[in-house]
Amino acid sequence: MMMKDLYRLGLCLLLLAMSLTAYAHIGSPGVVFEGNAGPYRLLVSVSPPEVIPGTAQIQIFVENGEVDHIWVKPIYWYVGDEGSPSPDEAVVSEENPSQYDGTVWLMSSGTASLEVSIEGSLGEGDTLVPVMAASTAQKAMEPGLGWILAGLGIFLVILMVTIISASVSDGTLSPEQPMTARYRRKRWVGAGLAVLVLGMVLYGGKMWWDSWANSYQEYIYKPYQATSTVLDTEDGRILNFEIDTSYLSYRGESSRASYLIPDHGKLMHMFLIREGSLDAFAHLHPQRKDTITYQVNLPPLPEGRYFVYADVVRWNGFAETIADTIDIPPAPPMQAKLVSLAEERLYTDPDDTYVISNPVEASQPQLPANAIVVCGKPGIETPLPDGSTAIWEHQPGEPVVAGKLYPMTFAIQDPQGQPAVLEPYMGMMGHLVVFKNDGSVYVHLHPVGNYSMASRTVLETRIAQDQKLPQLPDPVQFADSVDYLLASLQTMGDVEREAYLMAGMEHEAKNSDATHTEHATVTFPYVFPEAGEYRIWVQMKRNGKVLNSAFDVTVND
Amino acid sequence: METTLSPRALSVSEPRTRSLLLGIPLFIYATVFASLSIIIGLIWDISWHTSIGRDGLFSAPHLAMYLGAVIAGTFSGYQVLQITFAGNKLQKQRSVRFWGIFYSSLGALFCIWGAFAMLTSAPFDDWWHNTYGLDVTILSPPHTVLALGMMTIQFGAIISVLALQNRGDAIGLPTDQQERRNRRLQLFYVVAAGFFLTMLYVIVSEYQSRHDMHRSSFYMIGGGLYTFLLSAIARSSRLKWAATTTAGVYMTMLMLMVWVLPLFSAEPKLGPILNHIDHFQAFDFPLLIIFPAIVIDFVLNRYAAKNDWLLALMIGPLFLLVFVLVQWPFGDFLMSEYARNWFFGSETWYFGSNPDWEFRYAYAPWMVTTGWSLVKGLGIATILCIGTTRLGLYWGRWMQQVRR
Repeated sequence: MMMKDLYRLGLCLLLLAMSLTAYAHIGSPGVVFEGNAGPYRLLVSVSPPEVIPGTAQIQIFVENGEVDHIWVKPIYWYVGDEGSPSPDEAVVSEENPSQYDGTVWLMSSGTASLEVSIEGSLGEGDTLVPVMAASTAQKAMEPGLGWILAGLGIFLVILMVTIISASVSDGTLSPEQPMTARYRRKRWVGAGLAVLVLGMVLYGGKMWWDSWANSYQEYIYKPYQATSTVLDTEDGRILNFEIDTSYLSYRGESSRASYLIPDHGKLMHMFLIREGSLDAFAHLHPQRKDTITYQVNLPPLPEGRYFVYADVVRWNGFAETIADTIDIPPAPPMQAKLVSLAEERLYTDPDDTYVISNPVEASQPQLPANAIVVCGKPGIETPLPDGSTAIWEHQPGEPVVAGKLYPMTFAIQDPQGQPAVLEPYMGMMGHLVVFKNDGSVYVHLHPVGNYSMASRTVLETRIAQDQKLPQLPDPVQFADSVDYLLASLQTMGDVEREAYLMAGMEHEAKNSDATHTEHATVTFPYVFPEAGEYRIWVQMKRNGKVLNSAFDVTVND
Repeated sequence: METTLSPRALSVSEPRTRSLLLGIPLFIYATVFASLSIIIGLIWDISWHTSIGRDGLFSAPHLAMYLGAVIAGTFSGYQVLQITFAGNKLQKQRSVRFWGIFYSSLGALFCIWGAFAMLTSAPFDDWWHNTYGLDVTILSPPHTVLALGMMTIQFGAIISVLALQNRGDAIGLPTDQQERRNRRLQLFYVVAAGFFLTMLYVIVSEYQSRHDMHRSSFYMIGGGLYTFLLSAIARSSRLKWAATTTAGVYMTMLMLMVWVLPLFSAEPKLGPILNHIDHFQAFDFPLLIIFPAIVIDFVLNRYAAKNDWLLALMIGPLFLLVFVLVQWPFGDFLMSEYARNWFFGSETWYFGSNPDWEFRYAYAPWMVTTGWSLVKGLGIATILCIGTTRLGLYWGRWMQQVRR
């Protein structure tokens, strides 16, 4: 019992730690972008600052043409392009001549983007990389600096005591006047008073510093909180996800859940990962019942505690992840029929999917399931339940390193050993979830990178407008119009819906897969934020069905 | 043939230097210049952050401030070492002894403290920005350490001049030169005090802007601080109209900054930019402290023999009355279109603020203290002014006694 309590406490602490760094990811703040800037094909990696205002560091790789200049500048959603400063030039990296390094100041919290402009042999081109600017951490002082400052502080106090004591005693004596016992006494009294006054000043300073730190804690980004519950109803097992409205008190009206917008045609992308063994994974799209309540038919996931990650995007393009946990109880025997019904209902939304794979530890028991996805390793071909095979194109045995930009390429072959023909899935050629086994890293990314497509669309639309500061729309009307759009998407057929979702998007597969015209490979650019054991789920689509594969990888420092 | 160059040959001949400097040590000129350099750097830096936003460690305004610190620190440090290890008996008698071996003037000690405080603030501020973000505020803990450093250097300049003035050393100058020397010291004193007043105002300027001029807190903060400093200066100076002249130096200094800075082009280098500007945004037009300052000089000149409490009881309420009568309507004027010109510079607006804000040139209801709150607020301000004037007079008495 005590162990269980300790375990729960640990989990709570972990979730608390996660909540400090969550916005459209957990513990993976870097933004990777792959796409076009006019005629140029480029890969951009952004390290946003942990503290706003602060600087984002940018690395740019241009794959074609001769580059003369690359310029970068921040554009905020709130003020648009007209409210942006003049751009700064990115410079060729000293370490890698094909890499350009840039620095951009992010002065305010909120939805921002980096505009990358290129001039070169192919002419001019520019593109937009969404960046969510938010203070996510409070740094501690390094001991070295602490000692230096403490030393200087002590010196200043001693010197000031000396000055004050001299000021009230021999400082007032004419040159010819000798130092008498009276003035010596004055000196000591002055020193005593100085110690008292400086002590009070220092105490006041400490209080002030503390209040500043407390204010910063209030200013620091706080994600939405939510409560997930399992409801066994006559219609089957439902996951009820309720967003906590207390966020309004610290994030203001504009953060109302009424202002959520769809990304890839869904208002919410929810991922469930079975805690500990990581052997059950689901990608669901809960429907909005009211502005704070979302529900989805739960697939027949095995019992256990699950990490819940819900990715949402606000009307101003701010993308974030709501993290929670949920205990899924065993299905009651008499409701077995309902479970199977639920399973059927699940596929009424063809984009919901779940997968059972092997546990991360060999010692953990294997879950029973009709189809088990055996997790692959980088560079080693792995069979999938439908007879096809998947491979993460990576030199076997070559270590994967944290902080390095990887074009993670996954190739699929059909059961005949031929390159598979992949189809778009929610407007993308693939979806990928990176998860660190201890739960400290979670991110959902696509071949274009790990930013939200909806954020980018919102920013592009905003930048196309003049600099009239946006006004908060009516929450009811806004939510209604979004619901109407989603309802109309539901009535579309698969082909029509995919065409709609891909319209206006830069179809990355066309460009990135120039050598794989059959769409048998999909590349996800990503930078692992830290060393550790990771599990990666890749979701693609073949023959109208979602094709899930999973990989385990050790990331080194 | 080898020749030896005498160091004397490289320097200006001693009698000429002596007549130029009027026997006032170079250290005094250096510290007063350091005080000027610091205050110019600070106002320029604020203007830089209002107009450009982004700066580096070695931006021009920072260099002006560092120059002040380096000059004050170096001259003072040299003075301490010179007197301690090579000073004659008279020099040591004119100094205070500390830590068993060192000798220094009080002014030099203040300057050294200020230079070290400024030095300390640099890594502290850098850490602060990395931890809590780049603060767009004047009053933060590391900025306060910096401000204390700057103020202490400026105070060191004041004390240095003061010790010389109070001591009235007979240095064997002809009478006319001795008089010129005395006048120069008196002038230096109010100039150094004016720079100090400017610094004090800049530090609290977040509560002393034109949008605050109809708040009672404006008069509590301003009244309290200015009566304290100006009473001390007026008492310790040998000029008849010292407080008025000090306020005049303050006003001239700030007006010059208002007129000069906008002549230079500047472009915001940080987003979001709401106010598109192409030249430096001036710092605020000075407060009309010169008018209530006359009260201090008048009362101290006329009733010099009276008890300090009585003087405080006269100066405090009168100062506040004149201050309110002058500054309250002047706040309205600064909001009017007549102040939106190069002279008053009230068009100054931070690049990150919305230039179309409805209260850019108007008092929002929450910016005005009215009714009973106003009566109560001004009552508190009056009591505060009496107290700070009394404290200032006490402080001034100490300053009259500084001789080393």
